[in-house]
Amino acid sequence: MAAASEAIAMSSGMPQRRKRNLIPWMFVAPCMLVILLVTIFPTIYSLGLSLTKWEIGLQERPFIGLGNYIELFSTPRFLHSLLITLLVVVVGVSVEFGLGFSLAQLLSGEMKGKRVIVAALLLPVMVMPVVVGYTWRLLWDAQYGPINQIIGWIIGQPFTYTWLAKTETALFAILVTEIWQWTPFMFLVFLSGLAVMDPEVFEAADIDGASGWAKLWYMTLPLMRPIIIVALLIRGLDALKFFDIIFTLTGGGPGNSTETLSFYIYQTGYQFFRLGYGAAASFVLLVFLALFLTYLLKAFRATVEG
Amino acid sequence: MSTKMFKVLGVLLAVTMLLGLAAPIAYAQEPCQGSSSQCAVEAAKKFAGTTINYVREAGLQAQDPLTMAPIWEELTGIKVNVIELAYLDMYTKPLQDHLTGGGAYDAIDLSPMWMQDYVNAGALEPLDPYIEKYMNPADMEDFLPVYRSEGVMKINGVTYGLYDDGDVFILYYRKDLFEDETNKAEFKAKYGYELVPPETEQQMYDAAEFFTNKYAPELYGLAIQRIEGQAYSWFVGPFSGRGGQFFDENMKATINSDIGVQLLTDMVKQNKVMPPGVEKWGFMEVLSAWMDGKVAMIVTWPPIGRWSAGYGDTAKQLAWVPASKVVGKVGYMPQPGGRPTLAGGFNMCVTATSANKEAAYLFIQWMTSPDISLQRVMLPFALRDPYRLSHFSSPLYRSAWPEAGEYLDTLKKAGMSGQYELGIPGAREYMEAIDNALTAAYAGKDPKAALDEAAAKWDAITERLGVENQKKAYEQWLKNPWNRLGPTVEVPTE
Repeated sequence: MAAASEAIAMSSGMPQRRKRNLIPWMFVAPCMLVILLVTIFPTIYSLGLSLTKWEIGLQERPFIGLGNYIELFSTPRFLHSLLITLLVVVVGVSVEFGLGFSLAQLLSGEMKGKRVIVAALLLPVMVMPVVVGYTWRLLWDAQYGPINQIIGWIIGQPFTYTWLAKTETALFAILVTEIWQWTPFMFLVFLSGLAVMDPEVFEAADIDGASGWAKLWYMTLPLMRPIIIVALLIRGLDALKFFDIIFTLTGGGPGNSTETLSFYIYQTGYQFFRLGYGAAASFVLLVFLALFLTYLLKAFRATVEG
Repeated sequence: MSTKMFKVLGVLLAVTMLLGLAAPIAYAQEPCQGSSSQCAVEAAKKFAGTTINYVREAGLQAQDPLTMAPIWEELTGIKVNVIELAYLDMYTKPLQDHLTGGGAYDAIDLSPMWMQDYVNAGALEPLDPYIEKYMNPADMEDFLPVYRSEGVMKINGVTYGLYDDGDVFILYYRKDLFEDETNKAEFKAKYGYELVPPETEQQMYDAAEFFTNKYAPELYGLAIQRIEGQAYSWFVGPFSGRGGQFFDENMKATINSDIGVQLLTDMVKQNKVMPPGVEKWGFMEVLSAWMDGKVAMIVTWPPIGRWSAGYGDTAKQLAWVPASKVVGKVGYMPQPGGRPTLAGGFNMCVTATSANKEAAYLFIQWMTSPDISLQRVMLPFALRDPYRLSHFSSPLYRSAWPEAGEYLDTLKKAGMSGQYELGIPGAREYMEAIDNALTAAYAGKDPKAALDEAAAKWDAITERLGVENQKKAYEQWLKNPWNRLGPTVEVPTE
């Protein structure tokens, strides 16, 4: 059989080894081509764009080197949007982690009605962020919103605070909304992680007289580490691109006080057609995403290998 | 009343169709001597079978072309595909389409404020050759002068759009409250002058404060849209009326002048006599409160006047509009301050990349022609507002509801003294900077600091787009008397 195929290869003038090497490439070539067209080419194109002054109001598109990047880091609005993005990532994801993990711990054991509770807890994550944004906008409404109404009942007088129109509370409202939507995701991941943990390890710890805190700190958390890193990775990457809820809840306002990096890029690139500058801002976001990804993947690898 | 009006409109539409079908050959002669609508129909028949993609604002705005398109198709055989976009997407999407090769849209609606950017990008087809060929010149003169001026339909003397929406802010007030003898006496005792429908901003504030103090929380004195996105529209008119200027002779921003700062300070103060949470109120919140009889005054666009009067409130398209509790109680005044904002408005334009330019042009000529446009601005559910001299004087429109004549006179007066929003390259970005300053000040930021920040943004935009380029564009823009800022408009003599 082998001799036959070798004979065919020889007869076709192509050494068998070379032919064998080409076959896998032929299989992946269509896929590579698609990736090249939809990912690599646009990335290179937008990198080139970020080095030009591309403005809708200008007839020419001159090459300005790193001009857009320099302008970015000397623009307070951009730096502020960067700060808000990091705040959402650090505060939002941390709270989601804490709440998600606590809920997962609470519901990891057997209890009555667990299925219903878990299903109910998962609902927010299934709703589109735009819908969540508009729903919470109603909830935060000053005059007719249930949040103010409940506070009014508690304090015994009408409460009409404008949460979304005040700089001090707009970001708080955004974070609450974001945490409400994405805590269930963390909860689900951690609940799955806890469900597959070997109960014998914990039974042994019980026999040794370990306290609940000790079990959590020295056993659950270390054992859950790979899962925690994956959950943080997914949520962190998502939070770095945070856009929908800002768009629907505050539109980046009041002023520019709640603009994230993604919202800023949308404004400059797609609203004002500053395509060069917007592309440069996108690359800065890409660098942040790459750094974040690299750090967490490194931690993940260390955990798995170590 | 409204049912009768619908019947009249229905008959008019049917007559239009019949006239179109039986249009005399004379109308096909060039240039057009008869009705521009019939000339358009006759000329368009040679394009039967084609489809025009036409961009219109989503929602109620789109109900107008959706109603008219089948009539146009019946008359000409040209199908109109109405593409609905959100207001701000109407600026971005056709431009994106043009920048990426174009061809998706044949006719588009553009706010005058966006025209410069579109013309600079080469995205619009000059319409003068078509106008000369197909339009009766008298019909061009029928546009209210404010709506056919440089910077609106024309950019640098070239016509790029046919105006189609007389958007201007007017004040609606509750006549019953203003004419109440007790209110009049109490107001005079407190403020030392008569309670009258406000002409000045101070009168408006005093009346608002008076009604809020007396009736809140059942009723508030004033409600004005404050939500981010288009908040700037309520700044532009009063800023001009107080004598503010956008730029100095060196194109340095002067929106943070004493006039600007005082105006913003006053706007923040106004919020205190408006309903709680007004900082996040958009069009719908203002509309609901007004129709429900919860506010004494609002400053907004023309359609609310028609709905307040209950005009056409049985139309299924208006099912979402709250039933008016203020029918017969509404009075109209131009936006107080002397220069009502000509906020938004729309030109109908033809894209430079359209494959059906002539058919698209004929469609927009037909839509904006005196007879067809009158029917359209009278559609109770449409958001197109009167913009032709013949609309304001139409006996049919003036009898649409008891106060319709007063309403039309107010719109005309407000339009003729109006102030356009800035319409030079980068206009959206300039206006967004004001918007940010306003919402920041409503949130508690010092008005001076907020406007200083906005002015710095303006200077950066000007610098980026080229001071000389911007200066030239601004000087060109100022050629329109309704673009020039100041307490009064020097209306050119025709």
